[in-house]
Amino acid sequence: MKFVTGGLAAVLAIFVLAGAPGLAHHSVAAKFDESKSMTITGIVTNVDWRNPHVHVFVNVRGPKNEWVNWAVELESPIDLQESGWNRESVQPGDSVTVQGFTARNGSRQVWSNRMTLTQTGRQVLNVKPSTPPAPLAKRPTPTGPDGKPRLGALPGGVDGYWAFPSATVLVENGVKVDIRPDGLLRNPAADAAKVAPLQPWALSLYRQRQTRFLQDDPTFLNCKPPGGPRQFQQSHGFQFVEDPERQRIFVLIGSGNRNFRIIYLDGRSHVGQVGGDDDNPLYYGRAVGKWDAQSLEVDTRGFNEDFWFTNGGLPHTDQLRLVERFTRTDFDTLRYDVTITDPGAYTRPWSSGWNLRWVGGAELPAHFCQDNRP
Amino acid sequence: MRALISVLILSFVCLAGGAAVAQEGHPLKGSWIGSWEKNQAHGDDVLLVLNWDGKAISGMINPGTDNMTLKNATLDPDKWTVRFEADAKDKQGAITYVIEGKIENLAMHNRTIVGTWKSQRGSGPFRIQRQ
Repeated sequence: MKFVTGGLAAVLAIFVLAGAPGLAHHSVAAKFDESKSMTITGIVTNVDWRNPHVHVFVNVRGPKNEWVNWAVELESPIDLQESGWNRESVQPGDSVTVQGFTARNGSRQVWSNRMTLTQTGRQVLNVKPSTPPAPLAKRPTPTGPDGKPRLGALPGGVDGYWAFPSATVLVENGVKVDIRPDGLLRNPAADAAKVAPLQPWALSLYRQRQTRFLQDDPTFLNCKPPGGPRQFQQSHGFQFVEDPERQRIFVLIGSGNRNFRIIYLDGRSHVGQVGGDDDNPLYYGRAVGKWDAQSLEVDTRGFNEDFWFTNGGLPHTDQLRLVERFTRTDFDTLRYDVTITDPGAYTRPWSSGWNLRWVGGAELPAHFCQDNRP
Repeated sequence: MRALISVLILSFVCLAGGAAVAQEGHPLKGSWIGSWEKNQAHGDDVLLVLNWDGKAISGMINPGTDNMTLKNATLDPDKWTVRFEADAKDKQGAITYVIEGKIENLAMHNRTIVGTWKSQRGSGPFRIQRQ
């Protein structure tokens, strides 16, 4: 029996995915059970090379010798391309063996840990751990004509962006908990209360999100961009575009949908930034900044409650206020410090911070969550 | 009165387009509509507006019509159970409502509170859904 054609495979793929929740770019654990391994062998029917995750559809023999179409999920095209793969590395008609994790909802989906071409034994579409580029030598912090540090690229210089955060989860300074890079605590019952000074309702909600493997995260469910400190803990980084003439800095967020946030440096107040909309809480809040010695201090208020402001699902309310300090300690290092004040969700102000690395000579990776199929 | 509340709720639903507004903060905050069945004093339809200021839950039942201000509104976050009390009046005099319920589908924007209501005039099922 010949394997199904591309058209039929696409139809089958729709049925396979229709049985799954509408997850977009997600924590692997939100969708797949990492304690349940499985192996499938079959014929590739389609390669869907799209953000946020590549899917390879594979026809596998079922118990009655019928063809059953499985969706194999892999990392993003950006990550795969950085590891040397492209959309033709695996092609329809190839026979592959996939080892990975089963879907939590029992649908015919598998997260691929290892994909091997059956005929050659060659491993394909594997991702090498991403590492920050090594700086050639320690270089001083660049400054502009006004003597202030430049947070982005130098005028006329090559582009660049900030990535490789030294921490990808918001945890209070000084707290030691066993937490995964995607924000999942390995022992939420014991450690959730240590992460931040949560009010009882916020702690219970945080635990609930953790025990559901973060699958309710609106960033993954609805492609909502990372807001608050989360925008500085994403895998695809962010970019500063400084506009001194207009006294503002644009923060281009590389892991959302190319959204941007504006930090005003012209001395305006938090109220009145949006005409006729002064009191309406906003997704990114209202940010005003000023230079304090070599650091840019940004005070942001007026957030709405439409998003998770951390990768692990710490709650916040519309009383959230962030005081962020951006310090370019040398050419290739950015220190980010944030103090969180939210009397609606936390018992006291608390702080966190991490470093980021400069990725010079490059634009932000083209990651668009909306590209994911519905 | 009952017709007015129904019109208000219908208008609210129409204006909201039937879509729940994302709300990832305190689970009670927002507008809720539903029913307290067998309520002969104030009708079967009910609208609650709830708020959280960081210290206390506040709110009102049927704002704009009956204007019953919540008192002693509590949430047990370990069980996600709620208890609301509100004073009102009807033709027979003063009433105190006691509503007890549990938040269901906590992760959903259009989560629900399901439980019971009771007052000096009677009792019945209570169910509201966040809008």
